[in-house]
Amino acid sequence: MKNKYGGTYRMAIIQSPLSLDPAHAADTSSSRIVYQLFETLVDVDSDGEVISNLAKEWDISDNGLVYTFKLRQGVKFHSAIGEGIITENGGREVTAKDWVWTFKHIIDPDTNSERAYFLDMIKGYADYREGETEALEGVVAKDEYTLEIVLDHPFAPFITMLAYNTFSVIPREDVEMWGQDFGFNPVGTGPFRFSEWIQDDRVVLTRNEDYWRKDEEGNSLPYLNGMEFRTINDLTMQWTEFGLGNLEAIESVDDPYYHEALEKYPDSFLRKPQMGTYFYGMNVTAKPFDNKKVRQAINYAIDRQGIIDRLRNGRATPAKGVLPPGMFGYNPDLEGYTYDPQKARKLLAEAGYPDGIEITLQYNTDDIHKRIAEAFQQQMKDAGIEVKLRHMDGAALFEAMGKGEATFFRLGWVVDYPDPDNFLHVLLNSANFGPLGNFTLYKNDEFDRLTNEARVESDPEERRKMYQEAEKIVVEEAPWLFVYHYTTEQLLQPYVKDYSLPPFGEHNAIFYSVWLDK
Amino acid sequence: MTNYVFRRLLAVIPVIVGVIAVVFILTSIVPGDPARLMVGQRGDPATIQKLREDLGLNRPLWQQFIDFFKGVVTLDLGRSYRTRMPVIQAIAERLPITARLALASMALAVTSGVTLGMVAALKQNSMLDYGSMIAALIGISAPSFWVGIMLVVLFCVQLRWIPGTGTGDGSWIYLVLPALTLGMRPAALIARLTRSGMLEVLGQDYIRTARSKGLTEKAVIIGHALKNAMIPVITVVGTGMAEMLGGAIVVEKLFSLPGVGRLGIEAILNRDFAIIRGQVLFMALIFVVTNLLVDLSYPLFDPRIKYGRTWRRE
Repeated sequence: MKNKYGGTYRMAIIQSPLSLDPAHAADTSSSRIVYQLFETLVDVDSDGEVISNLAKEWDISDNGLVYTFKLRQGVKFHSAIGEGIITENGGREVTAKDWVWTFKHIIDPDTNSERAYFLDMIKGYADYREGETEALEGVVAKDEYTLEIVLDHPFAPFITMLAYNTFSVIPREDVEMWGQDFGFNPVGTGPFRFSEWIQDDRVVLTRNEDYWRKDEEGNSLPYLNGMEFRTINDLTMQWTEFGLGNLEAIESVDDPYYHEALEKYPDSFLRKPQMGTYFYGMNVTAKPFDNKKVRQAINYAIDRQGIIDRLRNGRATPAKGVLPPGMFGYNPDLEGYTYDPQKARKLLAEAGYPDGIEITLQYNTDDIHKRIAEAFQQQMKDAGIEVKLRHMDGAALFEAMGKGEATFFRLGWVVDYPDPDNFLHVLLNSANFGPLGNFTLYKNDEFDRLTNEARVESDPEERRKMYQEAEKIVVEEAPWLFVYHYTTEQLLQPYVKDYSLPPFGEHNAIFYSVWLDK
Repeated sequence: MTNYVFRRLLAVIPVIVGVIAVVFILTSIVPGDPARLMVGQRGDPATIQKLREDLGLNRPLWQQFIDFFKGVVTLDLGRSYRTRMPVIQAIAERLPITARLALASMALAVTSGVTLGMVAALKQNSMLDYGSMIAALIGISAPSFWVGIMLVVLFCVQLRWIPGTGTGDGSWIYLVLPALTLGMRPAALIARLTRSGMLEVLGQDYIRTARSKGLTEKAVIIGHALKNAMIPVITVVGTGMAEMLGGAIVVEKLFSLPGVGRLGIEAILNRDFAIIRGQVLFMALIFVVTNLLVDLSYPLFDPRIKYGRTWRRE
């Protein structure tokens, strides 16, 4: 057997997790730990394809309304957590009834899960949510190991969406016993079980000895004895701790150390395009952004590659449109905006601003955002655009956006599930104004039609065409300044083996097959 | 003395009420909706509304204020908006590390500061005096985050004497660098105060009398001069300890220490009003108690100070 058992995988996280209850793990710090403790029906592989997880196989009806899942047998909940605390469920097997209860629990208004609304296409969602029924009509246990989910209308990304960490199976007994404190005493089915959480310091997980998954040779998984997630807010300190050998991995190498990391760790500094986009949104109902030519001018006035090369060490891909490379529907032939300050000036003049314009960019306080904003401010001068910069914390920025006071603002988006719906429909469809995702208040009837129809279209090629068509519209109308697509990274100690970077962010990484060669 | 203590403790109540009132007013006018933040960048309006109801944010401010004080009486300050952990538990879990850091830092500051100040006073206008005061000036002026980083580079990276940052295995060695960083400024301040206090006292008649009575120089310096120079130092130690116990934000963040300071800064950034209010209450109590202890310690250093109906020096 080539892989070694043993060792604790210690990694740094920049923020302390908020909750280890999947129903409330809406932030990436929490979700990266939740993915080790809990499991969903399906998963997404490193190429973004849906693969089986706790559902062995599934069938989707021809009309796209009925999803039938055959569950894996022999999957058990954790029998103990912490220092030998026996769980209420006692380590019993997961059955279809547990999934029925889990979905009900997520949608239950008393739970008030931050991501319950992702499931609003499930039959009976509204009635159950409003207390008109006691059961969730659309989620049924057909037998002990067969789960059926019925939708009100077809939703093509549904199966992909089920890989999201909130939709992990949980044991009713333990949730009911712990109540609000379940997030501090999580019980799941994952390869690791909860051991300890010292707030703002570390979360410690230990190996689940009863984990169902085996490697190719039939050996039990995981290989690791445990995992430790250490909260280290400062990137310089993360780099220092990694260099001292106190960590097996860090996710973010700050720009000053980037080249040193590449030199010292050429084979274990992993990088790949991430399904995320960094952009500046423009409120299309506020002057001067209500004029398409002004928005286009701004897009022509930015040197994306220059910003990436000089400020990000080349660690990003210039954005031609909304969808990042690697995502289904990404169009490599899309004609985006080139760097052309003269064309920008011409467009401004055509828009009625021959002498240029003055705009204010608001961004949340952060060193990288500041550097990019300052570079952007300099570049805009060549196009006759005077940019004032205003930074504030995230809470204040959201409020300003919500009130319409911030009409030009920085945002970024990394997918919740790897489907173009989670970009184009969520962030730009007019049904999602405001906190639902469309902060630019962009509205285009043809774009809405295409993105609405793509949600219910079952033919992948038809969907691809619709999304590419929709993206062309939004690029032409430019409610965003498309800046760049993210790169996801992981710096590992050379003895860490079989780690694979997930497609839509390191927070989705799984560790049941990782081992330490030391 | 008992009356004095009782009256001082009674005076805490209006102070606490006033401080909390100010916090309520400030948190109500600062931009940012905690319920909005809890759902992340994208959230369902119905969920946000329900969160506001669950957190009581839709109730009038005066009602939230009264509910808060009802909670103070029953020792239930509610739960953190972000983590849903009980506020008292959230503070209590972080207090030990902050307390250890504060005690270690102040112990270092007092021993080094008093020593340096005393030496500077006794060797006034010598190279030792000038050197000590220049060191004190640097100590007061140098930013703590820079000092901390330099210490990490030297002791962790170059010399490998300290294994790393954070709490490690809980051993004392992980507190050395944070304590040095945090204690540097109070040490510098204490050194300057000790020097000036000693110089003033050493010129007094009773010191000349003590020497002429044949007391050893050590007894004169330690037993008389230093003791009488300590009043301003004790005041600085007291307020310094109170500040540290409220959370040394920069040092805790730099060294990844899970203390009260980091809890507070995250609460502010995320508009976790429950934690903010609980932490302000805690800090107000700390300041009041520390100030009281400092005042009560004065008679130990200056027997002329007595507490009766009024504080007086006889």
